[in-house]
Amino acid sequence: MNRLVTVAEMTLRELLRRRGVLLLLLLMPLTFYLIRRDAYLGQSVRSLLLGVGWAVSTAALFATTAARELEPRLRLAGYRPHHLYLGRMLGLWVVGLVISVPFFLLPMVDGADLRYGGLAAALLCSVAVAAPFGMLIGALLPRELEGTLLLLTVVTVQMLIDPAGSGAKLTPFWSSREIATWTVDDTDQGYLSRGLLHGLVVTALLALGVAAVASIRLRRRRHLRHLPVG
Amino acid sequence: MNADDWLRTLTAELHQRRVAADAARHVVAEAATHLREGGGDPWVVFGPPQQYAGAVVESIGTAPGPRPGPVRLHAAGITKKYGRRTVLHDATLTVRAGQIAAVVGANGCGKSTFLRICAGLMSPDAGEVTVSGRLGYCPQSGGTADFLFADEHFVLVGAGQGVARGPARRAGRAAARQLGWEAGGDVQARHLSGGTRQKLNLTMSTLSAPDVLLLDEPYQGFDQGTYVNFWDQLSRLRDAGTAVVVVTHLLNQLDRVDIVLDLTPARETGWHAPGIQGGRQ
Repeated sequence: MNRLVTVAEMTLRELLRRRGVLLLLLLMPLTFYLIRRDAYLGQSVRSLLLGVGWAVSTAALFATTAARELEPRLRLAGYRPHHLYLGRMLGLWVVGLVISVPFFLLPMVDGADLRYGGLAAALLCSVAVAAPFGMLIGALLPRELEGTLLLLTVVTVQMLIDPAGSGAKLTPFWSSREIATWTVDDTDQGYLSRGLLHGLVVTALLALGVAAVASIRLRRRRHLRHLPVG
Repeated sequence: MNADDWLRTLTAELHQRRVAADAARHVVAEAATHLREGGGDPWVVFGPPQQYAGAVVESIGTAPGPRPGPVRLHAAGITKKYGRRTVLHDATLTVRAGQIAAVVGANGCGKSTFLRICAGLMSPDAGEVTVSGRLGYCPQSGGTADFLFADEHFVLVGAGQGVARGPARRAGRAAARQLGWEAGGDVQARHLSGGTRQKLNLTMSTLSAPDVLLLDEPYQGFDQGTYVNFWDQLSRLRDAGTAVVVVTHLLNQLDRVDIVLDLTPARETGWHAPGIQGGRQ
């Protein structure tokens, strides 16, 4: 447990020291919110949630890429793969929650009339999905540029796809969009429960994907035999 | 170089040449007394410290080195191909506790690959490695976190072994001091100079008190003093029973190692991998 918490703490410290990145992380959802503000509140809130998801995914991608060289030696220093990926995920979730707070308060300050419980749930879903999503991309694509371009593609698809279409459910942030509809448009509970279920399932699948890739990359190789000190 | 520097260099040279500790202390004390009472430039009175240390060794001999212990690392028949290109062919190395092995060879001959295979970070196409005890690894570059302080690196590595924060920090700082570096302070790794960053890298690899220490050209960016400290530290680790494998292209250090594995392909040297095992052994 101590190892997991230490990795989470160091992830948090690293990200909090990247002040420029943090500023951009905060700027992105804010821009997304403001750019749609004149039109319709629902669009504005959905864009905000997508901005938070994109920001946390990007942070996760960069944190994963930065740790690529360090993790093998931490493995040799006594860490198991799950200490490393779960610790990092935990740290990213905390960062995500921290940057979500101002965006929970933003519509409130803006005087928006919506279900704030729903907004909190949608933000939680966004952050929950975004951390393993960015980590998985970072684990599969070793270079930041490729990872960022892939993230951009996914977010663009998410933004443009018809949410009612069957393909929309395959996009990672569909859950927060669904919950946002319940939050803003006062729709039935089905939107909320579908969204929460989707968020839970997608988070679990992505976390399993991260676990699988990390376990393969940091596995004990078969050619190496360890003997106790004789 | 003033008298104090000269005496310090002499002390280091005597230590490296394995002059018995008591005898070395006596020689240095005598030289210091002579300089204090007689005055004069030590370079004129005694000559270069390396030369004087050599004369001392010829006169009083060296302390017998500790006998090599049990086998700690045995890599046998390591073969690795990248596509059609074979970078390692049947490379073999055995290192015992209390020995330093140097892996040498031309650029691109697979030195780092061999070390990564020994560390279990990469799979070979053939061959196996047996490690007895705990393994430490220092990569050629990277391996540190840009935005963390040195102390945080020590805490991170220490936690892997279940070491509490305070002791991990203290152990890290003490190990860094052996390389002439005061590691405390709030400086992020990205702001350290290349050489200091490598000291951090090296310190991290020794922090878990490994039985087998694998070092991939860890001295990039070291100044002369640090380089001497580095080899001193390797000697200390060897004397403490650690099996050390160091990738190097600096052949002038080979007299300080016990085993040499040359991975230069056969067509360039006339030999066949797995190279030679020689040096002081």
